Amino acid sequence: MKYVGISVPRVDGIKKVTGALKYVDDIKLHGMLHAAVKRSPYPHGEIIRIDTSKAEKLSGVKAVITGKDVSKRAGLYLEDKTFLATDKVRYRGEAVAAVAAETKEIALEAVALIEVEYRELPAVTNALEGLKPDAPLVHPDLGEYKWGPIFFPKPGSNISNHYKIRKGDIEKGFAEADFIVENQFFVPHIQHCPIENHSAIAQMDAEGNLTIWSTCQSPYAVQKALSVAFDIPLNKIRVISPAVGGGFGGKAGTTLEGIIIPLAKKVRGRPVKLTYSREDEFVNSFVRQGMHAVIKTGIDKDGKITAVKNTFIWDGGAYTEYGVNIVRAGGYASTGPYDIPNVWTDSICVYTNHPVGGPYRGFGMSEIHFAIEQNIDMLAEKIGMDPLDIRRINGLRPGGKNATGQVVEVCGLQECIEEVAQKLAWSHKDKSSQPNKRRGKGIACAYKAPSMPNNVGSSAIVKLNEDGTAHLLVSAQDIGQGSDTALIQIASEILTIPPHKITIKTGDTDYTPYEWQTVASRITYCAGNAVARACEDIKEQLLELAQIRFGIPKRDLTLCDEYIVSKIYPDRKIAIKDLALGLSMDDGSGFHGPILGRGAFIPPNVRNTDKQTGQGEKPVAFWTYGCQGVELEVDVETGKIEILKVASCFDVGKVINPMLIEGQVEGAIVQGLGSALYEELILEKGIVKNPSFVDYKIPTAADMPEMLVSFVENPEETGPFGARGIGEPCMVPAAPAVANAVYDALGIRITSLPITAEKILKALQEKNK
Amino acid sequence: MRQFEYLKPKTLEEASRLLVQYGEEASVLNGGTDLLVRIRDGISRPKAVVDIKGIDRLKEISFDEEKGLTIGACVNLNDMIQYPVLVEKYRILAEAAHTVGSCQVRNRATMAGNITNASPLADTATPLLVLDAMVKVFGPQGEREVSIHDFFLWVRKTCLQAGEIVTAVRIPVYKENVIGNYQKHGRRDAVDLSTVCGAVVKIGDQVRIALGAVAPTPIRAWKTEEFLKGKNLTEDVIAEAAEIALRETAPIGDIRASKEYREEIIKVLVRRGLGSIRRD
Repeated sequence: MKYVGISVPRVDGIKKVTGALKYVDDIKLHGMLHAAVKRSPYPHGEIIRIDTSKAEKLSGVKAVITGKDVSKRAGLYLEDKTFLATDKVRYRGEAVAAVAAETKEIALEAVALIEVEYRELPAVTNALEGLKPDAPLVHPDLGEYKWGPIFFPKPGSNISNHYKIRKGDIEKGFAEADFIVENQFFVPHIQHCPIENHSAIAQMDAEGNLTIWSTCQSPYAVQKALSVAFDIPLNKIRVISPAVGGGFGGKAGTTLEGIIIPLAKKVRGRPVKLTYSREDEFVNSFVRQGMHAVIKTGIDKDGKITAVKNTFIWDGGAYTEYGVNIVRAGGYASTGPYDIPNVWTDSICVYTNHPVGGPYRGFGMSEIHFAIEQNIDMLAEKIGMDPLDIRRINGLRPGGKNATGQVVEVCGLQECIEEVAQKLAWSHKDKSSQPNKRRGKGIACAYKAPSMPNNVGSSAIVKLNEDGTAHLLVSAQDIGQGSDTALIQIASEILTIPPHKITIKTGDTDYTPYEWQTVASRITYCAGNAVARACEDIKEQLLELAQIRFGIPKRDLTLCDEYIVSKIYPDRKIAIKDLALGLSMDDGSGFHGPILGRGAFIPPNVRNTDKQTGQGEKPVAFWTYGCQGVELEVDVETGKIEILKVASCFDVGKVINPMLIEGQVEGAIVQGLGSALYEELILEKGIVKNPSFVDYKIPTAADMPEMLVSFVENPEETGPFGARGIGEPCMVPAAPAVANAVYDALGIRITSLPITAEKILKALQEKNK
Repeated sequence: MRQFEYLKPKTLEEASRLLVQYGEEASVLNGGTDLLVRIRDGISRPKAVVDIKGIDRLKEISFDEEKGLTIGACVNLNDMIQYPVLVEKYRILAEAAHTVGSCQVRNRATMAGNITNASPLADTATPLLVLDAMVKVFGPQGEREVSIHDFFLWVRKTCLQAGEIVTAVRIPVYKENVIGNYQKHGRRDAVDLSTVCGAVVKIGDQVRIALGAVAPTPIRAWKTEEFLKGKNLTEDVIAEAAEIALRETAPIGDIRASKEYREEIIKVLVRRGLGSIRRD
């Protein structure tokens, strides 16, 4: 292939590194007003009274809104949230009122003048507590909410989804085991920390047309949610996402857009902007849910796992409109990439009075694999087996069955394990650099499917220009992962037009065609397929016209280096550009007209699982499998970890762009190490104690280890050129690989994240007692 | 955003007069890396912000064989740590200054600001304590020099009186080489605050130890130094010194670390510091 599989430089690179690209907060519109938000000081409370009169009187204030202006509930999977609190507040920081004013300073001053009286309610600040029968109810009206048919809320409780897997016979499986082990793990809330904070501008014209500029991953999802919440037809809402400075899931669905629309409606055509502070990012945008795991496993003496019983309790936060699907994904993937005959899983989403849980790179997989992959190592130790061997025995391979009973067809997991073991020199133990340090190696596997509804669609339009260049229109967003470049490469390959002659335009619901969401590691796969089909559509039209022109049957024609060429007589050819506007005849007449390619895609044959057992033949579009190994050194006097080397290998089906995919995996490794070593939203009584980079640490350049990144390519039958998703899976094994390496180094098991120096030192002291 | 008056005097006299005039409601603006954050967070609400960067003499850095190294209050940390005499004779201070914030922060931040902010974990404080630095102060009564040992009073409290401004920090000349190092134990290797920090040096025969983030102010471990006088730094002596140092501290538990963890790290830093000067 000429363009696919080649390291084409990022098409969005220059405008990003030169700072020429304008992000939403860079946009300054004529007459633009600035919004500020009044937020709840309590994690849980009833709103008794709101007095906005003083704020309204302040000079420069143009509009003030409260919950009564946005009383309709919205949500992607479960309609449980209003954009501003109406009757009560459910987390500290929830929006209760908002102001639009001439300057940000006036808006902030006005917000301070809004008086809100609350009656504080007992709060649910721990998911396990929230499950107790006497726990306060975060959503007493849950029974009245709307939700999708694949979710299972329990009205009258704090459970917003209970996903089950019932595979085989769990009792029989444990009876067959030689050993039964039960382990517990905890994963805290973390935040995405994109470099660009959330920002949105809303403007409504005199005819009621609403335009939203938003730093969002999914313009069409935002458009749909706003249409529902504000009763505005889709043809009157235009959502533009000019650029996204890092998303990682935090800009999926809708976030802050709903706050400024009611303001925009009140200010007669003036645009209203709201940009979050970094503190807002930590508390008032999505966070990754916390999770408690209990895994009970039966294993025979030869290392075959006979049964596993998983209980995953998720701390969903105040609203779980998106979180319920993370819990579902955590359920259907609950065994990890292992072939286990008897499985019983309860994956339960619990409302708490914590910040709102939402999608975060990995979508539940990082959380469950932290538990699963340590548990595998603990089982191996129990029976005296090497961590590699237990994975060789139980790891999925073609022909095996996963947790949903699906027969696995394509699976390079075992190849990835061997590759990582070799890269990490698994059986070779290096000496530590100093007497007070210990070295260790750890390995963890991972798998992930695109966690999306079965029938979500993608589409693409390709316009061929009369000089032989082309425009590619999609609403897949380049959020840093490189999709602009990858999608152009796919188009180039089919059209035989080089990448620099194709311009991609994204993120404008008035002009770029439908894309469900830029999430779920699905863009190269889903949008890539739509682009491929749009280009095939063009190819078909070009061959049709050339057939007429040359009188050569279509089947004997092909595209080659920007020409339509006869396969038999290579000198019979015509440039693509000469057919771009249609076929011109010798008598001066024309035929067909400008060539426009159209492509659409829905993953084929993905079906719901059984509601009671979670079993199904094809519950997801595909699975991406892989493995990561870590070598580290620990200072036994301080507990400090230094990551020396990370080896990563994933089966991606087909590498579209080697340079970009390596960058994406390296980014994921570092982000994963952040969650392993540093990151945690410290929550006390519902209050985030570290909402800034002073006390919430993410890795810096100084923390990067040596990274060895490689790939296996077993093609995905339904993917473009065999490609499958990689953006999220490559982050998943990082934390458990570190935990397993720490155990290898010191013989201590840290079962909660992050694995801090302090936790290690404490565990060492206890071990040495 | 709170409104305040921004004043940029050209002379120390004028600056001092403004500080007297506004009293408690004035804040000195130097690099601004602490003050601006505090204003943004609503912790400081000054009526007047007195920017001292317009006073030229505060930007000087100089070395004199008798007086030692004098670093003006407005010399930023990146400029300071590139000053050859500092690197050559007082390397420990350069090392510590290099761990303050990020490169961008060090382009603005100053050592005078670092100590005047009087955080218990100020990175430059412990090297200054072991170097017996003098703080040069200008005020309504004219100029005076205060020992760094009398400078810190409590968390965010210094001995500065109304109208007084730190003009420079002076580090005395040592005939012997200053051997030793600054250790910073944080959660992350770069751009982090100290969980515990410490400076351990040997000047001639004398061992000096200072610790940060272990008490309301950065401290000298005087009793430990006394214990070490005339002793060979054997493993046992070092271990005992670490225990004595621990007793001189009163660490707290907070979001960054528990009290117990800080206590462990104090001992580690003292042991390692002493170990390093023994090897040298």
